[in-house]
Order: sequence, then structure tokens, then C-alpha cells
Amino acid sequence: MCEDCGCASPSHNHKVVDVNQSLLAANDALAEKNREHIEELGAVAINLISSPGSGKTTLLEKTIERLGKELRIGVIEGDIETERDAERIRAKGVPVVQLTTGGACHLDAALVHKGIHALEHQLDDKKLDLLFIENVGNLVCPATFYLGEHQRVVMISVPEGPDKPAKYPRAFIGSDVFMISKTDLLPYFDFPSEMAIKDALLLNPKLKVMSVSATTGDGFDSWLAYLRSLCR
Amino acid sequence: MHEISLVQGLLKQLAELAGEHQCKAISKVRVEIGPLSGIVIDSFQFGFDVLSAEQDLTRDALLEIVTPPIQYKCCYCGHVSLSSEGVPDSCPECSHTLLVPEGGDGLILMQVEMV
Repeated sequence: MCEDCGCASPSHNHKVVDVNQSLLAANDALAEKNREHIEELGAVAINLISSPGSGKTTLLEKTIERLGKELRIGVIEGDIETERDAERIRAKGVPVVQLTTGGACHLDAALVHKGIHALEHQLDDKKLDLLFIENVGNLVCPATFYLGEHQRVVMISVPEGPDKPAKYPRAFIGSDVFMISKTDLLPYFDFPSEMAIKDALLLNPKLKVMSVSATTGDGFDSWLAYLRSLCR
Repeated sequence: MHEISLVQGLLKQLAELAGEHQCKAISKVRVEIGPLSGIVIDSFQFGFDVLSAEQDLTRDALLEIVTPPIQYKCCYCGHVSLSSEGVPDSCPECSHTLLVPEGGDGLILMQVEMV
């Protein structure tokens, strides 16, 4: 009888190996290195997750306009194709690296590792206060991959509807901030904010809830105060 | 989601383990998938069936998926309750309604049997 599993096969040279290792262990180990690297630069990193078109890049543009003289900001842009987002950020005068995944629906720690090195080359004194990592537009897959960030921000825009936290729970469970964008459109859409917020807090009571409109500037004061508090 | 790429990662890890233990075939693989991991079990199983059949090492491997219940901790009294059907409405100890999940989002290769 086989010694390992007790099966009847006399010649069964059977091995049972207890592995107990996460299938994401390789990603997570690399993400920890990213985090060390980010901290060597003196920065706090934010992983920004939302659907396509929620206004991630616009939020960053407006944030750089208002905070760019006060804090050293760097941006890593994740997209499937094109340099377009990086061009928009570059026009605001801050260092930026575009990562194109070539089809993958999320950034992983290995891609961000390359991004941080490429960004470092653009820094004169190798110092940064705030690093934004704009993930690929997707509310599902990016939630699984830790990139080495200090804070994770999940955003939904008013036109997307208030049911997103309930429908895409993973992104909300793993985040620190829940941001509602395009609030200037509230009069034109059926978006009961309290429903979205209630669903999100049920999933994760620790979420900080914020809302912004890049058009009117509403809500930016608390967003910028939060960013300043991270860099203190 | 991206179950196929996760299965590819699993098969790579199995090949490394087989090499390490000088084994020629994997007979059984036990993987724990937390209910909050966002991984669709049927898709993961399908991906495994398709990709494992492509190589001799895993052709006859059986995939066993374990889904553990989630621990929910009460923010008020700290009591931990187990649930496999989403967030409990309230804490069984103090009736407070703010409960946070602890873990339940793992994707863990638990055990491998090989010959």
C-alpha cells in the first residue's frame, strides 16, 4: 500500500505536498518591492480604479492644476493602448509614464515596477511626494492586484448609476476611498447618492466617501485635504 | 475576470513543484478560492480542464476547489461570525449592523498530489 495516501497501488510512489501559497504570491512579493521603492522616493502612492470614462484622468488633471506647485506629483498611466492619457498629464507639466498592457484588463506589480523605474529617470532629484497610478478602466480585474500602493481609490461617475458598489463589490471591499465623480450631472440623472453610499459602506464601513465635479470644482477641497494629509 | 491567466500561473507553479520533487505527473490539486476573491469557480474549473489537458504533466490531474466561509467581525463588539452567504444583517452578540469581512478573498494552492 502506498505510504503517503493509503491507496491500494503497491508501486504507487505518491507524493503529497502541502503548498499553502497564494497564487498571487509572486505579484504580492513584487508589489512589496514597489512599495519600498516608492517610499525611497519619499512618495505616497494611490491606485485609482474606475470604469472607463468615469473621469480618472480629468480628476488627475484638475488635481495637478491645484496641487502641482505645492507637492511633487508623478503619474503612472495604465491603458490597453495609446499614449493619450500620458499626453494629457504631460501637458500639465508633471513626470508621467504610460504603461500599455497590450490587451490585459488590469495593471500588475511587474508592470508597475517597470513604470516606477521609468518615472525615476524623469526625476531630477529622485524625489516625489505623491504618485498616482491610474489603473486600466475596469471595475473588476484591477481589484485583485496589489501594486504596492498606500491607498486605493475607487470611483464611479453619476451617469454610471448608483448600483455599481452592489454589482462590483470586490473593488469597494479593497479600497480606502469611495469617490463619486461628475456630481454636476446629478440634476440630469437618476442617481440617489445615498443608495450608492449605503451599499458601499455595507461592503466596507471603513471607506472614506467623497464626491467631486471637475466642471464646477465642487468637492475638491476635501479631496485635496485628504491628499495633503497623506503627504504630511 | 481573468481566470485563464490565473490557471496559467497555477500550471506554471505545478510544473516547478513537479521538477522540485522529481515527479512526472500531477494527480490531484487542491485550491482554496475565497468567496470574496471575485474568481468565478466555474470559469476557473473550465480554464483548468482546457489548459491541463494540453500537457502530459497535468493531463490526468483532478482539481478540487474548496470555498471557505467568510469571517465577519463586528466593528462594535469585535465578535467574529462565520457566513458563507454574504454579510449577516447584524451581529449575533450585540445586534450592531457594521460588520467587516476578514479574509475570504484568498486564492491559495493548498496541496498537490503527484507521482
